[in-house]
Amino acid sequence: MAQDPSEKPRQLGGEMVIPILAIVFTLYYFSTIWNSPWTAQVSAFLIGGILLGLCSLFVLRCVVWVNAGKGSFGFSNLVNMDDIRTGRIGLFIATVLFCVLIEPLGFTLTTFLFLLSSMAVLSKFRNLGLITGIAALISLIGWAVFILAFDTRFPRGWFEMTMEAMLQNG
Amino acid sequence: MGETALILSEVFLDVIGYWWVIIPTIFLGLIVGGIPGFSAANTIIILMPLTLAMDLQMGLVFMVTLYCAARMGAGIPAILVNIPGTAGAAATPLDGYPMAKQGKGQQALAISFVASSVGGLLTTIIALATMPILARVGFYMHSVEMIVVMLFGISLIASIAAQDMLKGLIAGFFGLMIGAIGTDVVYATPRGTFGFLELYDGVPLIPALVGLFAVSEAFIIIEKKVIIREDAEPKNPNWHDTFEGVRIAVSRWWHIGWTSLIGLVIGVIPGAGASIASFVAYQQSRTFSKTPEKYGTGHAEGLIAPESANNGVTSGTLVPLLVLGIPGGATAAIMLVVMQFHGVSFGPSLFESQPKIGYGMFMAMAVAYFLMILTILPLSRYMSHVTTIPTIYLAPLIISFTLVGGFVPREYMFDMYLALGFGVIGYIARRTGYHVAAILIGVILGPLLETYFLRALKKSDGDITTLFSSTIGNILWVALVISLVLPIFFDWRRKKRNGPEIVVQ
Repeated sequence: MAQDPSEKPRQLGGEMVIPILAIVFTLYYFSTIWNSPWTAQVSAFLIGGILLGLCSLFVLRCVVWVNAGKGSFGFSNLVNMDDIRTGRIGLFIATVLFCVLIEPLGFTLTTFLFLLSSMAVLSKFRNLGLITGIAALISLIGWAVFILAFDTRFPRGWFEMTMEAMLQNG
Repeated sequence: MGETALILSEVFLDVIGYWWVIIPTIFLGLIVGGIPGFSAANTIIILMPLTLAMDLQMGLVFMVTLYCAARMGAGIPAILVNIPGTAGAAATPLDGYPMAKQGKGQQALAISFVASSVGGLLTTIIALATMPILARVGFYMHSVEMIVVMLFGISLIASIAAQDMLKGLIAGFFGLMIGAIGTDVVYATPRGTFGFLELYDGVPLIPALVGLFAVSEAFIIIEKKVIIREDAEPKNPNWHDTFEGVRIAVSRWWHIGWTSLIGLVIGVIPGAGASIASFVAYQQSRTFSKTPEKYGTGHAEGLIAPESANNGVTSGTLVPLLVLGIPGGATAAIMLVVMQFHGVSFGPSLFESQPKIGYGMFMAMAVAYFLMILTILPLSRYMSHVTTIPTIYLAPLIISFTLVGGFVPREYMFDMYLALGFGVIGYIARRTGYHVAAILIGVILGPLLETYFLRALKKSDGDITTLFSSTIGNILWVALVISLVLPIFFDWRRKKRNGPEIVVQ
């Protein structure tokens, strides 16, 4: 059956990422239980064996489809120019920094910086005044609820220490 | 009988007198239930000094209300932003979120509130009436039977995978494999942990939930200005949608009834939980539906099933706690501690020695559900506005608060990185057509299945035929096979019926 020329071929390269991750992880998992007692192996070999079979079948299906012209090994369904245009890459970098900085800087300050930077990136640096206000308000509410009221063990930094000292000294 | 009725009416009057505790607790429960990482259990722990300072009955009313409200609250972000507040609400977004995207968020919330309240109320009454029988269910559910119950939940993967079976199964088995990370239950051999001590206890659920659902969703929604679909009919907030949601839910009262019963029975089994109940209820609801193809597209019954089931679990978990002194879940275990602090001893004698406590917990639950529907339903009109908040503000908010929510249960920084890692997996899965719910089902149910499987094998000295050695287990196996085969049969019959019609046209 001829393919509709207007139809975009499936980007099978992107679709193969999860199966390849699954194969790599399963093989790594097997390597950790190779010399273990049977109780550690039985279900892993059962599930892992099925998973490897399914992934192999999927890779085979992709190869057949590419050969038949129904798809390509492209990745544009996963990574494309939209990721830069929408600010997704900027948001991802901000998220990684949020995780890295929350321990040294504390919950409130990091949340403020993260909200400010990510909202600014996503809005293409428009309405910066409004964004600063929202980021400050939300992070202060977060501090009041999670740290002041519930006393959770969120990471504490300069802001939390200062506020604690201020509240203790009236 | 007359004496029991008198006690019940006294208890009712006592409990309703605590309306001033119940109503604020409902709002607290909705908030903590809605934020991943904050559950009723850890909120009660945080507020333990307050709970212990209260008199026993007030403390019980507070804890029970918080428990019920948190369960209901977990469904709100699941519907509006595709982020289940707890693992028990993991099946809720399957149909709730598509409804929200279609501009029916308010309707979906109303359906969820009615299903949760009615399901919870109904199962509370049934639990109260059948407590001695229900308490015995746990005794009959051994490893073999539990394996089949788990498989009921896991078979939902196949239903979710209907569009592309191969990709669905890969997602599900990948989840099961991730769920197998950690030490094995018999010899504590570390497996697939990448050398991280934090993974020795297995993959923590909240970071997995946060990453797969919340973080990945935040990275997806930024492609659009708002969550609601552009072609969805723009509406001003109105009461009509709330009433329409109530009408839809009430007209499916039978559906609410039987799916909440699934929750009740699963809740009674110690160790089983709301996540299993909601997956099993969703899968069964789809199996016996006349329109299974509508599931996953914003179908009311697909939303009712998990919501009424996970609220059915709340009353179920109280049964073994009160009758046997065995808590059915984390929250029930904390309630046990508080009640023991007040000198309450559990067991069948509780209803004779301290009937006001025994019956009081169920009555508190019934009153909480009743007041909940009255207080929350009007709010659905305002809550649904979340779907119209610009994603440039919503996405960073989701990421920051859910990532720190991932940190809360164990307080390891590692868990935030883990949530981020799951976020990346979830994002790749969403962009390339793999269902994140299928991965999550595997992560949640995989370790439980393995535990019961190993226990069964260990007890039988490795004899695999032990899986078919019990009568109840065999009945459940037959029911499982039927529930897997029936949809195929129904589908075949529907196609056969529709076939000639097409020819006639």
